[in-house]
Amino acid sequence: MPARVDARTAREFLRDVQPFLTIDRPQLVFDLSQVVRLDAAGVEMLLHCMSQAHRRDGDLKLASLSPQSAVVLELTRTERLFEIYDSCTDAIRSFSGFLPNAMRLQLLDRRHPPTATAA
Amino acid sequence: MTTDIRALLLVPPAAELPEGKALPISPALLDVAGATPLQRMAERLTRQSANAAIALVSANALPQSCVVAPENLEYRLASPRQFWRAAEDVFNEMVEAGAEQVLVISLRQYAEVDIDGLVRFHLERKGQVTQVSHGADVLDIFCVSGSRRNDAAVLFRSHLAEDRGHCQFFHHDGYVRPLATARDLRQFAIDILTLKTETQPAFEQIRPGVWAGPDALIEKGARVLAPAFIGAFAKVRAGAVITRCSAIEHHAEIDCGTVVENSTVLPYSCVGAGLDLAHSVVGTGRIDNLRRNVIAEIADPKLIHYVSPASFGRLRRSAFDFVTYLPRQAWRGLFGTSQPQPVRQEPQPRPASPAGPAREMEPSAEFPANLAVVRRYGHQ
Repeated sequence: MPARVDARTAREFLRDVQPFLTIDRPQLVFDLSQVVRLDAAGVEMLLHCMSQAHRRDGDLKLASLSPQSAVVLELTRTERLFEIYDSCTDAIRSFSGFLPNAMRLQLLDRRHPPTATAA
Repeated sequence: MTTDIRALLLVPPAAELPEGKALPISPALLDVAGATPLQRMAERLTRQSANAAIALVSANALPQSCVVAPENLEYRLASPRQFWRAAEDVFNEMVEAGAEQVLVISLRQYAEVDIDGLVRFHLERKGQVTQVSHGADVLDIFCVSGSRRNDAAVLFRSHLAEDRGHCQFFHHDGYVRPLATARDLRQFAIDILTLKTETQPAFEQIRPGVWAGPDALIEKGARVLAPAFIGAFAKVRAGAVITRCSAIEHHAEIDCGTVVENSTVLPYSCVGAGLDLAHSVVGTGRIDNLRRNVIAEIADPKLIHYVSPASFGRLRRSAFDFVTYLPRQAWRGLFGTSQPQPVRQEPQPRPASPAGPAREMEPSAEFPANLAVVRRYGHQ
């Protein structure tokens, strides 16, 4: 997400992610590590994205919260509404229980490549 | 035989702290439970030995609008570069006016020193310079004989760090609180509200453990749980909760439904509705969150905003809000986009999965290639 999330940048960001919110079962992770200023419009945008994702049986998770964004989410009582992870990788992995089988097998192969066996 | 004792209270330029940690206003000049540490020290001096007091404040320690002279002492400003020179001049001025002993007190800390005991100790030992010590540390509190101008000069030129070797120490084992950061300020408020200090919250208790200033407004439906402090002209709106040693200073406002827990809201600061403020110091457009050790600048007036201290400014703003209310509502009704607008789409065939196009992107070491990365933001 951008460094400053105010009314204008929130609208632009929403425009960017809108295609991903309209697919079936969207699984989104927003990286807030760069956010240094987050206001009420930004929080509203996050809630809107989350509600859109839930409507399509998906989810939105937040990752790598910057200290400033964490303070604002705590202030607006919205931090308890999101699943928040320390890193994007952890957030993405949390979706893996819902991945189609083909993708899950690909990830498993990458982690544990098949070893050659002697004939 | 009475001795002419004067006091010089110093609010020096802010100490060097990590970037952003120092408050924009010196903590000695910020209200804590209704009175600034400067005022509290001045009252203490007035009650005890000192005949007169002068407070010398560094000009960059506070914005212009906060320059209000406390009632019981004379107040002077000095530029940061000339501060210690000005302190030396004030000392000399006091001596020429007849002061026999001068108490030099820096408000980088608040200490409830027994002033009478300090002066007695100084006189009995026929000391030239007596410094107050607290445990293994020394405090920036001195009693200097009026005849020791050179000793005073060395003290001021070293920013109270050095003396000429004639210093004796008066041990103080009472209350001491540094005043540098927001955390110090918050802890000072907690100590005052839990009666750990000799100084007490200003104003009267409206019920046990809750102090409120004149014209403080606590609306019906608001809850204020002891111990807490509500300053003069402060407003606590319906549904708000003030709890756990929170201090709402004068002219601050807590809007409906907001919970303030273990926090200080500085003067003229307004906290928006439905918020949850905990373990923080709020004021001058920022939140110092002490639990996370983070300072967040807040520009959104719906969250936190700062009200002009000038009454004319407030009146003008209220009048402007009143006159423009209907036109603003009409504008919002016609053109406002306060809510993110849902995008209406024609029914379409199911779009391709993001996993498809992502295969064409450069694979990231962090993310599998079959996951789409919408947008990356660099340093902005």
